[in-house]
Formats: sequence, structure tokens, C-alpha cells
Amino acid sequence: MSLSVVFFYLYAAIALAGAIGLVIARNLVHAVMSMFATLLAIAALYLLLGSEFLAAMQLFVYGGAITVLVLFVLMLTKAEPEIATTSRTAIRWTALGLCGVFFVALAYILGTHSWELAASHVSNTASLAETLFSRYVLPFEIAGLSLTIALIGAIVLAREDDTLPGNASADEGGDA
Amino acid sequence: MITLNHYLVLAAALFCIGLFGVVTSRSALRVVVCVELILNAVNLNLAAFSAYVAPKQAVGMNFVIFLMVVAAAEVGLALAVILTLNRTSDISAIDRIRKLRG
Repeated sequence: MSLSVVFFYLYAAIALAGAIGLVIARNLVHAVMSMFATLLAIAALYLLLGSEFLAAMQLFVYGGAITVLVLFVLMLTKAEPEIATTSRTAIRWTALGLCGVFFVALAYILGTHSWELAASHVSNTASLAETLFSRYVLPFEIAGLSLTIALIGAIVLAREDDTLPGNASADEGGDA
Repeated sequence: MITLNHYLVLAAALFCIGLFGVVTSRSALRVVVCVELILNAVNLNLAAFSAYVAPKQAVGMNFVIFLMVVAAAEVGLALAVILTLNRTSDISAIDRIRKLRG
């Protein structure tokens, strides 16, 4: 067994354990931290696939930004301790069965199909940059535009608006 | 030897776990994080296909970058919605949100 095989199974195990922890953890902070382990393991798998840039982006975007964002929202929202965070038992078992059947079918198809593989296993950041800025330059620009729009939308949604009538914080302004 | 099929089966497993989480969890925040897990599984698929099938063109890696952009936009908007809902109605269980029901 070569070293890359060992590392693949190690990171795959970490990713799966983190994903299961995300689903079954009762405390939401524990769930998010276990998702963080999954994200780091997927970054390591990108490294095993030979794409260093994707691994770095995974660490920055998911491991850094999104995890911290989710934790901040978790801190800012009020918890409802009296309700269960998961559904009823019957729904859980039904969903587990359906997802299990779906996984078995997917794994059977994906595991037994033989793909037409390339001879060499090289892939580097330079070829990624070449295609990104020549062939896919229009989607690249649209992606930047959509990020800007989403950012503005998130700010508009989340900010405490005191100009709208009927808002609790606008009542002391005397504007009925 | 790790083949493409190993990565695909791992991504399928992550996808199904994320799907289970989306269906069963009642906390809106956990639903958003499970959707992120599903998108990560798809990203892993794309990167594996790119590395094994067409490593010269690196098309799948471009798609991974675009998907990361979409995921970042989605999680920002979803968290803003959760924050607004929490401020206006004290609700965090998604099956009790009925604001838009006619």
C-alpha cells in the first residue's frame, strides 16, 4: 500500500465522520465544528488530486469565511431550547432508509463504471488559470457580479432598518 | 491504487449524508450547513473528474471555482434571511415559518 492510499482513506474517514457528526450532533456549535473537520479533509483530498489552488481556496472560503460566518450567525440568533432540533423518529428513519437506498444505487453505478481516463495524472494551477481567463472569462465576470449582488442583498436583508414604519426600533421616532 | 471510482463513491456518501441532514433537521442553520456539505460533495466529484479524465484542460476545476462562488453567495443570503427571521419573529425551527404562506 503506497502512502497516498493511506492518506486517501484517512481523509475520507475524517470527512465521513465529520459529515455524520454534522447530522447527528445535538449542539449546533458541535455540528458546525464537525463540518469544519469535513471541509479540512476535503481540502486535503484536493491536494491529493494535485490541485493546490483548489485546496487553498477550500481553506480560505469554506474553512475560513463560511465557518466563521455560520458561527457568528449562531451567536447572534436566539436559541430555542424547548424545541428539538431534529424531526420525529419516523421521519428520521424513513429519510435514513431512502438516503441509504439512494447511496447504494449511486455507489453501485459509480463504483462499477469504468471511465475513459487520461494517461497522465498532472494538473496544475497554471492550466487552471489559462482556461479560467481565456475560455471561461465571461462566466468569471458573471460570478464576480453575482457575488456583488448577493453581498448587497445580504446587507439589505440583515441590517437593522429603522426607516420602515412598523419596525420596533422605529417606534420611538414618533412616526406613526 | 486510488482510482476515480473511490472519489466518486466518497462524494456520493457525503452527498447522501447531506441530503439526510437537509430532510431531517429542523434548525434552519443546520439545513444551510448541510446544503454546503452537498455542494462540497459535488465539488469533490468535479475535481476528481478533472484530475483523472482531462487534467490538461482543467475544466472541472474551473467549475469548482464557480460553484464555490455560488455557495458563498448562497450561504451569505441564507444567513441574512435566518438573522432577519430571528429578529422579527423569534422562530428558528423551519417548519414553523409560515410568513409567506397565503
